[in-house]
Amino acid sequence: MFGLRTWILGVKSLLLHPMRSLLTVLGIFIGVASVIWLLAIGEGIGKKAKEQIEGLGADNIIVRSRKPPDEGAGGFSAPKLFGLTRAECDTIESTIETIGSVLRIRELPYKFSYAGNPDVKPIDGRLVGCTEGYAEVTRLEMSGVGRFLKDDIDVNVNVCVLAGELSAYLFPFEDPIGKQIYLPESQDYFRVIGVLKPKNATAAIGGSLDAQDFSRDVYIHIKTMEQRFGDTVIKRGSGSFSAQEFQLSQATLRVKDVRDVPRTANVIKATLFSKEGEPRQDISVIVPYELLEQAATTKFMFMVFMGLIAAISLLVGGIGIMNIMLATVTERTREIGIRRAIGAKRKDIIQQFLIETIALSVVGGATGILGGLLCPAAVDATRFVMEQFAPKILDSLPEIVRETDAVIVPLSIPLAFCISVMVGVVFGIYPAMRAAQMDPIEALRHE
Amino acid sequence: MADLAASIKELTKTYKLQSEEVRALRGVTFDVPQGDYVAIMGPSGSGKSTLLNLLGCLDRPTSGSFFLGEDDVAKMDDDGLSTIRATRIGFVFQSYNLIPQLTVEENIEVPLYYQGRLDPSARQRCRELASMVGLGERLGHRPTQLSGGQQQRVAIARSLVNDPYFILADEATGNLDSVTTDEILQLFERLNNEGRTIIMVTHEDEVSAHAKRVIRLRDGLIQTDIQNTDRVTNLKKEAMAKIQDPAKPQMERKV
Repeated sequence: MFGLRTWILGVKSLLLHPMRSLLTVLGIFIGVASVIWLLAIGEGIGKKAKEQIEGLGADNIIVRSRKPPDEGAGGFSAPKLFGLTRAECDTIESTIETIGSVLRIRELPYKFSYAGNPDVKPIDGRLVGCTEGYAEVTRLEMSGVGRFLKDDIDVNVNVCVLAGELSAYLFPFEDPIGKQIYLPESQDYFRVIGVLKPKNATAAIGGSLDAQDFSRDVYIHIKTMEQRFGDTVIKRGSGSFSAQEFQLSQATLRVKDVRDVPRTANVIKATLFSKEGEPRQDISVIVPYELLEQAATTKFMFMVFMGLIAAISLLVGGIGIMNIMLATVTERTREIGIRRAIGAKRKDIIQQFLIETIALSVVGGATGILGGLLCPAAVDATRFVMEQFAPKILDSLPEIVRETDAVIVPLSIPLAFCISVMVGVVFGIYPAMRAAQMDPIEALRHE
Repeated sequence: MADLAASIKELTKTYKLQSEEVRALRGVTFDVPQGDYVAIMGPSGSGKSTLLNLLGCLDRPTSGSFFLGEDDVAKMDDDGLSTIRATRIGFVFQSYNLIPQLTVEENIEVPLYYQGRLDPSARQRCRELASMVGLGERLGHRPTQLSGGQQQRVAIARSLVNDPYFILADEATGNLDSVTTDEILQLFERLNNEGRTIIMVTHEDEVSAHAKRVIRLRDGLIQTDIQNTDRVTNLKKEAMAKIQDPAKPQMERKV
């Protein structure tokens, strides 16, 4: 009975009021398109977060030193050792069996200058003491020849590897390999043995890991750093003087089997933290594996939330359909009476009006899907326009907004379509029932 | 029984208003043989409309029986009545009641559509009916593009499409001028001559004068049920026109 003819008649009836039908379709269009858009954007953000966390390595546990809040105002007191110590790190490495390797990292803020001409304005950067494994863990790549701090280099010789951007600043016109850079603060010279490819900064992850900018890094062997610079860092400024003492900025512990990560993390926390299990102010333990799980949960919540918003807009669209259909039923009371008088059963009338609502919502759904598929293109276009005309506003936005791409969730398309048909049925059934329940005699008398 | 298009026995209908009961029909009995042409008349409040609704199977009586063929429709449910309306009754209304968004052809097809009998031969029949009422050239027109008389002819074609037991006309000429009224009445007469049973509800004596039989209702009862001996037929009309004004050329109207 749901024959082609019934559909044609339904569409004909709808076309009697093209504007009204168009506006009703618009309601569903917006609802369905927003389902796809919101899911696509949610998926994009989730994917981005997942990539960032996976960049840290799911099988890694990161122990990072934090500078505790300053105690005692004013005056100079002897610097107090804080953070992860070499001894603690050695203990962890030697006692916890599930740990495969330990990467020790020490980062110091430093100024770098071109050794050939000490008048060149020094540039602020970061001196990173590390070992060969650092390049792999942070996905740094060498540009051209040269090797990252190989384990067999002589730690008594000052050699370094430069970040690509820093190298371009210090050595704009010459090949830096074999040349020396100058550290004006400690009056040290380092010979360049390698240059890295430029690498984008990593984003901060939640509150647990700060964003890292690799563009002004100088990498030296951690043993060299220990021998040359000691554990105490003294900062002199105009009228200020501060000192801090720490041994390691970070240790990245690689767990042999990823399934052991949560267990190992607990053991590390137990080792580092006090017996009461009170977290130490100067150390944070970051477990990307847990973050990954958290991110999945967060993403799920986000999707549910987005879905809820989309559901609301669909609800509004559906109510729009119902409203229009109720008006239509009243307006066509006489037609209903005629149809009943010449042989239409109640179910024929229900079917007729239901088909009209389904037709409306399916058209809305189909166009909504097309609109939804435009989402990635629209996001790209918006970004492009922003870059062209309002780069400052774009820069001021958080990174997640700047760089997230919308990723269409394939399932969202059939889902959106089913939802639109369902909206048609759910919101069409009441007006259709009302039409069918009319007394044919009354309906025929209706003017 | 078989030669009766409809048979009504002791039909009553009582409406319950808030406090009082209105007895619109108090026991009406009559038979309509096949091929009859009945006019039902009566002042307002006589139960004319109620009887019409019952004859049209749009309503159920409070008591009594109404046989359409072998079936007592007085006891049918809503779906059963719908099927009876679709297969055994041809409605013609005062205000034509065509469906505005459908074409002439589609309007004629509607009753068949609800029976699921819309095959190519049935559609061919619809077109033949349209030509029969003189609208063969206007199959694609919509009701709004037609005059009142033309719309009523479409409605008559629609009422014939299911080959009904009887045509039920409710003030079918009430909205038409006298010339068009004549046209429609001639069409009814022709259909009756072809063997169609017609039940017509009207309050105009000029219209009822064309029927073979006139039933007058009053206060929910049949007041008179008489064969119309002074029946005005086309032949009579023509003859009378000749007598009154022999010089005037005879007007020929084709339906």
